[in-house]
Amino acid sequence: MTEFLQHLLNTLILGGTYALLGIGLTLIFGIMNVVNFTHGALYTVGAYLMYLAVTALGLGFFAALPTAILGGFLLGAVLDRVLLRPLRGADMDTTMLVMIGAGIVLQSGTLWLFGGVAKSIPTPFPDAPLQLGPVSVSWLRLFVLGAAASLIVLTYGLINRTRLGLAMRATFQDHDTAALMGVNVRLVYTATFAIGSSLAAAAGALLGPVYVVFPQMGGMAELKAFAIVILGGLGSITGAAIGGFILALAEELGAGYISSGYRDAMGFLIIIAVLVFRPTGLFAKAERIG
Amino acid sequence: MLEIRDLVCGYGTVTALKGLSLTVAEGQLVALVGANGAGKSTTLRAISGLVPARAGSIRFAGRDITGADPRTVLGHGIAHCPEGRRVFPQMSVAENLALGAYLRRDPAGVAADLARVYGEFPRLAERRRQMAGTLSGGEQQMLAIGRALMARPKLVLFDEPSLGLAPNIVERMFAVIRAICDAGTTVLLVEQNAFAALELCDDAYLLETGRIVLSGPGATLIADPHVRQAYLGG
Repeated sequence: MTEFLQHLLNTLILGGTYALLGIGLTLIFGIMNVVNFTHGALYTVGAYLMYLAVTALGLGFFAALPTAILGGFLLGAVLDRVLLRPLRGADMDTTMLVMIGAGIVLQSGTLWLFGGVAKSIPTPFPDAPLQLGPVSVSWLRLFVLGAAASLIVLTYGLINRTRLGLAMRATFQDHDTAALMGVNVRLVYTATFAIGSSLAAAAGALLGPVYVVFPQMGGMAELKAFAIVILGGLGSITGAAIGGFILALAEELGAGYISSGYRDAMGFLIIIAVLVFRPTGLFAKAERIG
Repeated sequence: MLEIRDLVCGYGTVTALKGLSLTVAEGQLVALVGANGAGKSTTLRAISGLVPARAGSIRFAGRDITGADPRTVLGHGIAHCPEGRRVFPQMSVAENLALGAYLRRDPAGVAADLARVYGEFPRLAERRRQMAGTLSGGEQQMLAIGRALMARPKLVLFDEPSLGLAPNIVERMFAVIRAICDAGTTVLLVEQNAFAALELCDDAYLLETGRIVLSGPGATLIADPHVRQAYLGG
């Protein structure tokens, strides 16, 4: 029982960052119809920005996090402006290839700049974990959960409570009619890609200190993000949030009760199961929703 | 108020408008009638900037708006109520109406217009929290009209407001559109239902395969032998 409770706690903590990854990816797909193959690279970049901000810039840990998120936002805005805007109206395959290329460039860029040796990010949290009855959790992981949960709530509020969110949802449902309402659709696209990118960077900046930072870290993160989005239903934000926690639970239980070698396989098992039994995902209706 | 000269538009290799000219005077209800595929919707989409003009010019209230984007056109005071209603299905009635006023920066005026729209269409007020996709066709058309009015436009473009609606609802829609014009908003109405549109309008244009072939007061067009034979069933 104790072991199970510990797994549930770990699920909660891992799930928060997975949800961030999935929401970023599903937002970009849902609104822009772009399959974002730079998502994993942006996750890596977020982790390296966090590393740079803490070590080279000497910002405190808590100031470094928003810096890394902002960096992801700006990089996303540039990627959209330079690569995606000229391709608007091009078919999906073209955009996909360009994004794969951009992902390779970003990943190789981090390898070139930082080398292949893994870096660790120092944190201000005490080493001793917090004991909660029979289970324990490190302070760092607790902070990661809190930060991820806040970002999820913030994103949800942005989409459902603000003027930009209204424009994003309108563009998602019908971009021509949104334009007729006076929505600046090009700006909505850039904002969407920047926000999605900043969420990927946030996930990297949060998990970077938990694990280590290395140039290929984004590859597995990207696959997991795709698993989450397929599970939750393409374009469904709520689906991505819940999908993140389901994947984390599957990984925890797979690693805990089958073999720790199965942890990263769970994502693929989920993709296969969803595609076989429920191809639209768990939470998407026939018509996709915001 | 609106003046289109020799407008040429198309999609890919297809030319939908082959030099169309028409004028809408302020305060008038002008109908653009014609068969399916004649280019009626394309005309409205070109005015709104959804379809680029290949040649010709569009002027509105003394300004050249040829090639302007939809946001700019709306900013000048032209609202577009698109074909097939095109309400945002996964948004509430209230959010759809809020999007109609998206560019406006006068909250008091927006609130007043919202009250007016709800007054005109009590069904929308009853269902303000309901998702627009769950409304009936007639209610969706009311919502689309209300949404266009929320921009407080000088000119409204209506694209086939009668499409797919029951006859008694169609009658109601046309009465509403006439009332909008009588209240001082200029209207350009595109309709396949030629007889109803010609009865309703002040002036009318008949469009055939991308060209205006006939124009004049609605009553004159109704009496025209060609119109009677081709569009009014003899």
